[in-house]
Amino acid sequence: MFKKILFATSATEASDHAARVAFNMAQAYDASICIFHVLGVPTRGFSQIVMDVKTKEKVEIDDEYIAWVKEEIKVYYSKQLEKAKSYNINYDIKVAVGFPHREILREARNYSPDLIVLGGSTGDDEDSVYKKSMVGSTLQRVAKAAPCPLLVVNRPAASFWGGISQIVFGTDFSKASDAAFKFSVNLAKDLDCELHIFHALDISNMHMGRLLTQDEIESQIRESLRRIRGRYIGELKEIKDYSFDVWEGLPYVEIVKYAREKHADLIVMAHHTQKTSNEDARLGSNIEQVIVRAGCPVISINK
Amino acid sequence: MPEGKLCNRKPIETEEELKTLLSDTGGKKYYEEMKSLDVDSGLLWKTIGNTLKSRTKTWLEICAHCGMCADSCFLYLANDCDPKQVPAYKIQSTLGEIVKRKGQVDNEFMHMVMETAWAKCTCCNRCGMYCPHGIDMGVMFSYLRGLCYQQGFVPWELKIGAGMHRVYRAQMDVTDEDFVETFKWMVEENEEDYPGLEVPIDKEGADILYTVNAREVKHYPEDLAEAAILFHLAGENWTVTSTGWEQTSLAMFAGDWAACKMQVESVYEAMERLKPKRMIGTECGHAHRATVVEGPYWAGRSNGKPPVESIHYVEWLAEALREGKLKIDPAKRIKKKVTLQDSCNYVRNHGLKDITREIMSYIVDPGYFIELSPNREHNYCCGGGGGFNGIGLFRPQRNKGLITKRDQIIESGAELVIAPCHNCWDAIRDLEEEYKIGIKWSFLKPIIISMVEIPEHLKPEE
Repeated sequence: MFKKILFATSATEASDHAARVAFNMAQAYDASICIFHVLGVPTRGFSQIVMDVKTKEKVEIDDEYIAWVKEEIKVYYSKQLEKAKSYNINYDIKVAVGFPHREILREARNYSPDLIVLGGSTGDDEDSVYKKSMVGSTLQRVAKAAPCPLLVVNRPAASFWGGISQIVFGTDFSKASDAAFKFSVNLAKDLDCELHIFHALDISNMHMGRLLTQDEIESQIRESLRRIRGRYIGELKEIKDYSFDVWEGLPYVEIVKYAREKHADLIVMAHHTQKTSNEDARLGSNIEQVIVRAGCPVISINK
Repeated sequence: MPEGKLCNRKPIETEEELKTLLSDTGGKKYYEEMKSLDVDSGLLWKTIGNTLKSRTKTWLEICAHCGMCADSCFLYLANDCDPKQVPAYKIQSTLGEIVKRKGQVDNEFMHMVMETAWAKCTCCNRCGMYCPHGIDMGVMFSYLRGLCYQQGFVPWELKIGAGMHRVYRAQMDVTDEDFVETFKWMVEENEEDYPGLEVPIDKEGADILYTVNAREVKHYPEDLAEAAILFHLAGENWTVTSTGWEQTSLAMFAGDWAACKMQVESVYEAMERLKPKRMIGTECGHAHRATVVEGPYWAGRSNGKPPVESIHYVEWLAEALREGKLKIDPAKRIKKKVTLQDSCNYVRNHGLKDITREIMSYIVDPGYFIELSPNREHNYCCGGGGGFNGIGLFRPQRNKGLITKRDQIIESGAELVIAPCHNCWDAIRDLEEEYKIGIKWSFLKPIIISMVEIPEHLKPEE
């Protein structure tokens, strides 16, 4: 299932938890891992100067500098790499210059991984080089266009991981969710784990501020359960254990709560918002909120 | 002393030479060698004899030293009215002196000329509008850069830039394959949101041939995607060419006349091969100047025009909005204080001042658009034109030069600056980074995409 993992890292603390998951997965599934780091963002028109993402200094990139950054990464991940070596895991360290989301996507196109692993936010620091001249986060942009599933680990809690045995699939019944469902089923089959299908009935704003009566809520829950049965259950013949639920509330909160209750090791959701560039969408879609809050890794699927 | 290994009078001809020069980080060795580079006075004087025509001769002679040009120069203003920044002084003390001395100038003098030609003039041509005699120092500086280039006194990045055009026919190391592949990639990335989106490559007889800036391919291909999406939504019959797609010309900034010709001819060849009705270039100022305004003369075209009608992106966009090919959702128009940066290269030098304002009238809610003062053909250079943005050696001078634009923007109170020009966009980004005045900046394409109505038949299912 996961033979090639592209681990895109800032090589800072923000990516430490993702690193743990990425290396663990490589080990567990005998995958090759490509450690990919965007070291600098171009500045100054056609000049050769780039802004180093870590030091925030303006540097001129040459082979020597690139070799030095690669060495730094090797040192940063020395423990993991040593372990990887002892398990005969193939790994490669690559660095690039450019806007992070674009270079991650370029490398994904080039390396064709089965999974991209991304760390959490590097912070809202105004000075952050990652934010230069681009609105919206690296995560949003990669999630929107990734050619393969994208696994994000944001909280440290999400990285203490002993394999995958419980998968939560969150659906909003969209077309993109169908793709996420397919992936969840394959994963559950492949890894022989339990699959929990979940839908959250959004009662926060869908009725223009009108409060729903409890009868209305319950009738909609029944309707959603019918949809789950009709749409998904027929496909679960080869899955040993599964369950499905619909809860009402604020969708991302409910998904996180549900995952906690199910001791989920992984949440799978679709990413299908059209607009990523709108700043007002800073708080983002449900999946972005889930990523920020979840106690386990989250996989985003967009097609 | 003879020429250096890196710094010499020979242009870059091969990829290998280009890589060697690039590997000299920051041009350290290059500039070191420049210190002992001889001036070939014979060649210089001979070239002047062949190329310095009556207009320039007259301009040099009739300058009355009246100083009317002083206030017109943003660098003069940004540098506390330093008399050495008066345009007339700048050109008389450089080109004027070389002519007076019949080319008998030394290395130290040429160092001064290089700094003046690239760090004290962006060839914005504003001074020419204020000279009572109509003397255009910007035009003369472009000419002077050619003489500097020939003698090997050219900033490191521009020697590389001109070399890129010679080797790749693009301002960066982007090959034809990279270009086509990147454009396809961008279409793939967006075809779900925009069903039927495509990039027709080498299609003959299309209505539009679209040309770009290599930086878009290299660093922000979103720009290519946005162009494709807007042509798609407007229902245009368009194409790109697999070779001759680069509209810009760092060779022009460098004064590498031969490379200017090579570059622009590659674009004209594409026009002749594909026979489009029109060529449309991206949101870039100098690219338009190079390919549409000056290029025909470099290529020796007697009518002074490219092989097919060639227009700037803003002209196409205004037309598409005017004719309703693209419809803006009125609810999504800009509702914050916004201003517009006039690019010297297609506003002052090619008269497109009203077109960009027409676009503003469609995309900004009434009452939110603010003009900079001065504006239109009187607008100041962004501060980074003519190659200034990219030259590491002259970074401090460039940063100082941004002050005029910074103060103009602060005075306007705008929160967003629309800059339909790569150079202006860069300079404004840099001035925000340098001086932190709390503004945003943008090209037109992403703004239009955020507010354009998608016709019913082009909407994705679901």
